[in-house]
Amino acid sequence: MIEKGRISAFQMAIMMYLVVVGTGIIFIPGITAKYAKQDMWLSPILASLAGILAVCTAFQLHKLYPKQTLIEYSVNVIGKIPGKVLGLIFLFFYIRMNAGGIRIYADFVAGSFFTETPLIVIISTMILVCAFAVHGGIEVVGRTSQFFIPLYVLFLLIIIILLLPDLDFKNLFPVMGNGLMPSIKGAITPQSWFAEFLLTAFLLPFLKDVNKGRKWGLISVFAIMFTFVVTNLVILFLMGSITASFTYPLLTASRYISIADFLQHLESIVMAIWVAGTFVKFSVVYYAIVLSTAQLLGLSNYRPLVFPLGFLTMLFSIWGVANETESSSYNSTIFPFFSLVVQTLIPLLLLLVAFLRKKSGRRKPN
Amino acid sequence: MLKRSWRKSEKGRKMQKTEYEKKEQDSLSNSFNNNVQNLRDIYKNCSDVVFRPFFIAGKGKAILVYIEGLANTEEIDDNVLSPLMQESTEYDDIKTLLKKRIAVSNVKELATFSDCVDQISIGNPVILIDGRATGFSLDLSKWEQRSVEEPSAEQVIRGPREGFIETLQVNSSMLRRKIRSPEFKMQAMEVGRYTKTKVIIAYMDGIVNKTLLEEVNNRLKRIDIDGVLESGIIEEFIEDNPYSPFPQLLTTERPDVAAANLLEGRVVIMVDGTPFVMIAPTTLYSFFQSNEDYYSRFLIASLIRWLRYFLVVMSLLLPSLYVAVLTFHQEMLPTTLIISVAASREQVPFPALVEALIMEITFEALREAGLRLPKQVGSAVSIVGALVIGESAVQAGIISAPMVIVVSFTGIASFTIPRYSAAIAIRMLRFPMIFLAGTLGLLGIMLGIITIIVHLCTLRSFGVPYLSPMAPMNASGMKDVLIRAPWWSLRTRPHFTGGYNRYRQPPDQKPGPKKGKEK
Repeated sequence: MIEKGRISAFQMAIMMYLVVVGTGIIFIPGITAKYAKQDMWLSPILASLAGILAVCTAFQLHKLYPKQTLIEYSVNVIGKIPGKVLGLIFLFFYIRMNAGGIRIYADFVAGSFFTETPLIVIISTMILVCAFAVHGGIEVVGRTSQFFIPLYVLFLLIIIILLLPDLDFKNLFPVMGNGLMPSIKGAITPQSWFAEFLLTAFLLPFLKDVNKGRKWGLISVFAIMFTFVVTNLVILFLMGSITASFTYPLLTASRYISIADFLQHLESIVMAIWVAGTFVKFSVVYYAIVLSTAQLLGLSNYRPLVFPLGFLTMLFSIWGVANETESSSYNSTIFPFFSLVVQTLIPLLLLLVAFLRKKSGRRKPN
Repeated sequence: MLKRSWRKSEKGRKMQKTEYEKKEQDSLSNSFNNNVQNLRDIYKNCSDVVFRPFFIAGKGKAILVYIEGLANTEEIDDNVLSPLMQESTEYDDIKTLLKKRIAVSNVKELATFSDCVDQISIGNPVILIDGRATGFSLDLSKWEQRSVEEPSAEQVIRGPREGFIETLQVNSSMLRRKIRSPEFKMQAMEVGRYTKTKVIIAYMDGIVNKTLLEEVNNRLKRIDIDGVLESGIIEEFIEDNPYSPFPQLLTTERPDVAAANLLEGRVVIMVDGTPFVMIAPTTLYSFFQSNEDYYSRFLIASLIRWLRYFLVVMSLLLPSLYVAVLTFHQEMLPTTLIISVAASREQVPFPALVEALIMEITFEALREAGLRLPKQVGSAVSIVGALVIGESAVQAGIISAPMVIVVSFTGIASFTIPRYSAAIAIRMLRFPMIFLAGTLGLLGIMLGIITIIVHLCTLRSFGVPYLSPMAPMNASGMKDVLIRAPWWSLRTRPHFTGGYNRYRQPPDQKPGPKKGKEK
């Protein structure tokens, strides 16, 4: 097998948590607030359905084709040439997605902190660090995320706790004042983040304890849902109806913290911690990209591909996105449907075909 | 590429054998004169080798060969020469004679010249006898050695005060005194073509992982160099990643540390001629743990451990955090503090990055000078360091006072790391971190930290992940990393790869008033 490292299902859950939360926590509160208003906390719950669906699809497909990744079994399911084409579609999608994610990160960092620093510096340093991790293989990515998760969760908790004195619970009402529709609309964008759980299709073959894969995948989905619900609630309680006017509401919220004249202006620390989260996200997707390219081309080693593909991702994220406004509108209008097709519908179809093939295949010997 | 490296290794193997090595291959012959002549040729121009011909019981020709200063001449005179040379001695068979007359505990029969050379070189006198194709070595070596002292680099308040010395026999006996069970094994081997240094692999049979032991053995056997003068030379040959700044073997001078690690299932590598023994495998956390943690009360030990972790982070990050805050994130400091810092920096002509680099390099220079200096001029350096650099530089407005405080605190923090090899690695990484902080602020620091963590995640020490039990996570291992759990709850040994002897003690040993009354 091309990858010799093994991770545990627990590590996979942590990686997936940071994959979704990493960029999601910067971006999702603002977008959900735009559509769902005071029901923004309901949207992640609806959106998590996409995550559950993705975990189950990936796991079922893996059960039918054990020890294979999405790229490998799509050839087995729909034949050589269509399978390779499908693989290319996935590959293109993930490169585009990672580039878009890195652009979100870079715009966030450059816009809020380093206004003078060129974007290319921020993007390339991040890709370089990710390349370093991906070069180490899946084990290294898994262990790194395991190292960062306690810090990440701890800091998130600290921010929420420090915000507690400023919260106003009345902002929650009226619950579902305009029916369910706004929160469904608000769920459209987070849905595409949750659908990233399809990435487990690239991780499941390398699990030490595969039978726990689905369980930990689902736990991870619920943990993410919980995180988003809590952050959305906190932001809503803090800012109320003006939430939608901020691009990065949680960052604005952290600027709010001021305790004892000493604990204040924590946003730089928030940024530093988020960098750790986004790093894990980009590394996992980057790893999936590198692995699928190697498998598409039938190579025996994926490591020589790490730097070229990182460079490609960098170009995509600089040339593929014109500016922050375009990035934001792409992520809230085009990407959700792009993701719905590639990350949810195509795998479901694939599962259906695979299921039918296996069924008919089993009948044949009789 | 593969071919090239193969060729390289071929070339290396063709190392010439010296004429001595050729000679040493031969076995002893029946001709006494030939044997003596051969030995004399081998030890040509060695003024310290003594050849003492004599007659056994006035009849049989024999010769005694030893190295002056390594062999115990008094004992040779009393227990070997005088009984053998007595005319009244009955001499028919040398073997029975040795059994009857020679009061020496360990006598070995030698068949080849290389055996003879080995024995002579460690100080054992060798007897060659007319008419025999074998020689005998007598265990009568004695040489000057340092007395056992407390190691100055690893001091403790509570704990045994003895330390290893340069003599391997003494070191192994110190370990044997601590672990008396016969399950404590020591395998010896020789490394170094010229120095023929004795290396001992010590382990606990039944606790140690067999594959680990095999791996250590294999890696040691692969070494082919001319000399081993310190365990550091061997360390560079057997570590997993030679390019990492982090040490992958724990070195210690203390027998109690070595014994504790043996009982945890690790392998101890002892090298003759140095008080530093190496312990494998090791993890990052073991470099931040002092042996005293295990002897003092666990609450205090846990607190001190946390303090140490905090100081480790500080010694890596404090100067770079200061630079990042001053350069990019001034808003993070409370207003009064930033005003006083800004006031003290008013006259300073350098940006914070340059200021930090100047001070850090000065500090490193002072540290290095303090190490190398003869003791008599030590006070001169402290005067220069404290007065000239500390006070005058600030007064002259070249350096700001807060920077001096930051750098000195960082220095103190780095000296709290119990293992020097880890402390120096972290001290080295401080410089790239300062650069990153000066160019990209907190983002740069974070990217630097991520790079270090990724590197640590790729590192392994003899197959054990360097960051375990944190990543990959192992809950029972955290008991001895996050805190120092009390001894009665430290039931399991640290978990390395593969099958192992899991429990170190039975459960329910928590002391309490009830326990005493139980019947």
